[in-house]
Amino acid sequence: DDAVFTRKVEVDNEVALERIRETIALDSSLPWTETLVVTYPETIDVDVDDDLNREVAFYKQALHCANSARQLAAKHSFPFTRPADYFAEMVKSDSHMERIRQRLLNETAAIKLSE
Amino acid sequence: VDEHSQIQPKNKKNKQRVLMLSSRGVTHRMRHLMNDLETLLPHIKKDAKLDSKNHLNLLPELADLNNCNNTLYFEARRHEDLYLWAAKTPNGPSIKMHVQNIHTMDELKMTGNCLKGSRGLLSFDKRFDEREWGRLTKELFTHIFGVPSTARKAKPFIDHILTFSLLDNKIWFRNFQIVEKDPLKPNGPPETSLVEIGPRFVLTPIRIFEGAFGGATVYSNPEFISPAAVRSAIRREQGSKYGQRKQ
Repeated sequence: DDAVFTRKVEVDNEVALERIRETIALDSSLPWTETLVVTYPETIDVDVDDDLNREVAFYKQALHCANSARQLAAKHSFPFTRPADYFAEMVKSDSHMERIRQRLLNETAAIKLSE
Repeated sequence: VDEHSQIQPKNKKNKQRVLMLSSRGVTHRMRHLMNDLETLLPHIKKDAKLDSKNHLNLLPELADLNNCNNTLYFEARRHEDLYLWAAKTPNGPSIKMHVQNIHTMDELKMTGNCLKGSRGLLSFDKRFDEREWGRLTKELFTHIFGVPSTARKAKPFIDHILTFSLLDNKIWFRNFQIVEKDPLKPNGPPETSLVEIGPRFVLTPIRIFEGAFGGATVYSNPEFISPAAVRSAIRREQGSKYGQRKQ
């Protein structure tokens, strides 16, 4: 009773996909500052199971895009860097950040102890 | 009216609002992921859980009632599998994806932080532009994950970047804080570095439909195997091992 492999029907209707994309596409005359999209000029080609190199590749992508976005922002005279005296609510609360800091301290202390 | 529209073509705005809701049966981790997205994206309107899993056609109407033109719908199955529908409502398209490897912002390993409601940069790698389904996904994600400048809580500065990378036919999501000064050299030249904020997740595209939550399939991923099939295959293998031992 060998299992019969049924190949799933593959659909890849490029014509329809392109037509749909054109119906929802944003106005191409929108300035960059409205979308803030940056495309990384490389593809990510690393071993998926290699956690370290994979995360490094993502980091490189983000860093490259952050730098090119800063240049774009300068070109559009769009404020990028937050001034040091601008304070507002953060995504993570102070108590959450304190817990993260405490954990880091505990970890370094544990490393020192084991040495 | 025509005159008026001719005077103001320069102030074109990207207006997006996203309705986000889940099905019943989401676990705490899935709920936390939704909360993370809600804090990061101020143009998201969160709604109560949808009662029925079979009436997704209600969603475009619900989005319309909330003045939203996009919908993110998290569908939990068997209290362990999570699917994400990203749709342009009311006319489509919609993408159904399988969500895996969720890490939320609560996890203490990620030390980054950013302003609540600040507009994040969106970064896509080049592979999105190679295939037509990737280009469509990029366009849709630009609408959904890009905070419009008109969002009520948006901040006038940029301090984080959302990264989408196509690897192994999956979309990997990361969120980094952009740090421009080295805390050890406060007066040195500004040098950009990144600190991860979270959350993390991986999306496997399953199908793209022409309409919102339905309609003709225009793309299906031949490599996708449902998580239930994966589990049953593992169980079958374990069972056959036992059967061989018994003989």
